Amino acid sequence: MRKRIILAKMGLDAHDNALRIISRWLKDSGYEVIYAGVYNSAEHILRMVIEEDAHAVGLSFHGGEHIFYTAKLIELFRVNNLNHVKIFVGGIIPPKDVVVLKEMGVEAVFTPGAKKDEILNEIKKSLSEQA
Amino acid sequence: MSEKPENIDFDAYIRGERPKNFKTASGIELKEFYTQDDVTDRREIPGTYPFTRGIHRDMYRGRFWTRRQQTGYGTPEESNKRMKAVLSAGQTGLNIDVDVVVKLGLDPDHPLVEGDIGLVGTSISTLEDMEKLFDGIPLDRVSTTLIVSPPASCVLMAMYVLLARKRGIPENGLIGTVMNDSFNQLVGPTREAEFPLFPLEGNIKIGIDVMEYCIKNIPRWTILNVNAYNMRETCLRAPEEAAFAMCIAKEYIRKLLDRGFHIDEFASKIAFFTDIGMDFLEEIAKIRAMRRIWAKMLKEEFKAEKERSMWFKTAIQTSGLALTAQQPLNNIVRATIQTLAAVLAGAQSIHTTSYDEAYALPTEEAQKLSIRIQQIIAYETNITKVVDPLGGSYVIEWLTDKFEEEIRKLMIEIEEQGGFIECFKRGWIDERIARGRHEYARRIEEKEEFIVGLNIFEDKEEKLPISISKVYSTEMQKERIDYVKNYKKNRDTSSVKMALDRLYTEAKEGSNIFVSVVNAIENRATLGEICETLRKAYDFELKIG
Repeated sequence: MRKRIILAKMGLDAHDNALRIISRWLKDSGYEVIYAGVYNSAEHILRMVIEEDAHAVGLSFHGGEHIFYTAKLIELFRVNNLNHVKIFVGGIIPPKDVVVLKEMGVEAVFTPGAKKDEILNEIKKSLSEQA
Repeated sequence: MSEKPENIDFDAYIRGERPKNFKTASGIELKEFYTQDDVTDRREIPGTYPFTRGIHRDMYRGRFWTRRQQTGYGTPEESNKRMKAVLSAGQTGLNIDVDVVVKLGLDPDHPLVEGDIGLVGTSISTLEDMEKLFDGIPLDRVSTTLIVSPPASCVLMAMYVLLARKRGIPENGLIGTVMNDSFNQLVGPTREAEFPLFPLEGNIKIGIDVMEYCIKNIPRWTILNVNAYNMRETCLRAPEEAAFAMCIAKEYIRKLLDRGFHIDEFASKIAFFTDIGMDFLEEIAKIRAMRRIWAKMLKEEFKAEKERSMWFKTAIQTSGLALTAQQPLNNIVRATIQTLAAVLAGAQSIHTTSYDEAYALPTEEAQKLSIRIQQIIAYETNITKVVDPLGGSYVIEWLTDKFEEEIRKLMIEIEEQGGFIECFKRGWIDERIARGRHEYARRIEEKEEFIVGLNIFEDKEEKLPISISKVYSTEMQKERIDYVKNYKKNRDTSSVKMALDRLYTEAKEGSNIFVSVVNAIENRATLGEICETLRKAYDFELKIG
């Protein structure tokens, strides 16, 4: 079965170079990408996950807003029993916050310079573990 | 440096090192060398038409470029401290960045914005905020750039005018720039970023309203800074950056002519904000070509008569896209090379991007180092003592001609499709950006382009040697939300309503709204309320969340 992954930017920042590039990489390697684009709220992503029965969500951040929005989404997933949906985060994220995000339950964090193979392998590995 | 001897490829020493190909970053094939046969003998003198060699005869002998680092984060009070810190480090102009909340025309108490308040720029909502932001800064002696697009540019400019009035500074004493570019403020010209926020025609119209007011009332103000930088950073190539920027400027020029101005009344108030990447020769040639194209365009197409109208002026920022998170100290070297290119290209002002920006907004230390890079070039290298030192270099002159040709070709392509606005609406610009991004990623992945520390000379066991700034703070965000809520509670609501009603009516009628925005702010309307009134007047609903 093809895995479905939602790609989104949360909040107001619209820097989307990486999200667009990774979207193409995922599609080329067989994923079904649901491209939510920019300006998403946590509630909107939750609705999409339910409607699309998505396996994972990939979030991209640029301006330091990563913890605020990721925490909101994880909390919504918890309340709605969606803990099986994997969350990946990418973007301009300081090393300390990478640790924080992982502790919060983020599956993997990709920072500037992350390579295509590294990203695809990581996503493949964690989605194959999914029931 | 921890490579074990068995991992070292000793054959590489025999092979030696050489470039992988002989193309510039934008794909122009370079010959082995260039001679006088490759260049046109122009005998051009700096400060004379078409100004390829610079807009002033004496250039940096008369005055160095302005050191203008972007500042702004958190509350207006915090930003004010940083502004004073960079000025005391020898920065010579201010460059105020606002947060995304302001850029979208919203207030901190809007339900969808909390997590973005004060992150990538300062949070501003009221005239009081503006007063705090500029506390102790003389508006008639320090030039300021307000990095903001319509409709928020109209509000911030109106606040600036009111602030000057309060301090008794006449409007003809104000010096600075409002960026005011409708297409590029968020990330570059993508429809996805722009269309959910404000109707495009209204956005452009409000920008023109601001320009009209400034042309008539603030004689030393730059009314438009075409943001080529943000376009370039979406992975477009140098000729696209230049051509798109020129075509945007043409759209604004036509609209100002439609309002009845003569070209010489405003052309000298238009400037550009351009990018300098790592391809040293190409970037210098790009800026020289842009000067020549602008001069010819203004003279031949728009029939400008004053020389000043033909001066292409540019603020330059070194590329953020070129920086790496890997081996971040290397970014100091990159920024230095790019800053040197900006100076050799003849920039009017420079922002040197800081080495820690692949991790977060710069620390004060990193920002100071960026200023020092510029000061070392200005005061120690002596390249400022002669104008256009690379002028007459065979390859630079050849590349300048080549760039002029490439940029013109693209400009014709855009104009033939109805101009930049039409191309943007139709998605042609988006297509170019998409192509640019995937091509950029492919070149790095396939090592067609090398980035030291990233896809060559990697250091697997690297430990991060720099400290990182921490901006994110829920307290600061709560403080801003509470402040705006209180502000809205403690004011005469009937005068706010009257002022916003007047604004609504004028926006509906299509007259110039600037004075009406000034009036709304005086009556204590907030930035978000003003922008929301304008959306309503255009029957437009914000499509975010």
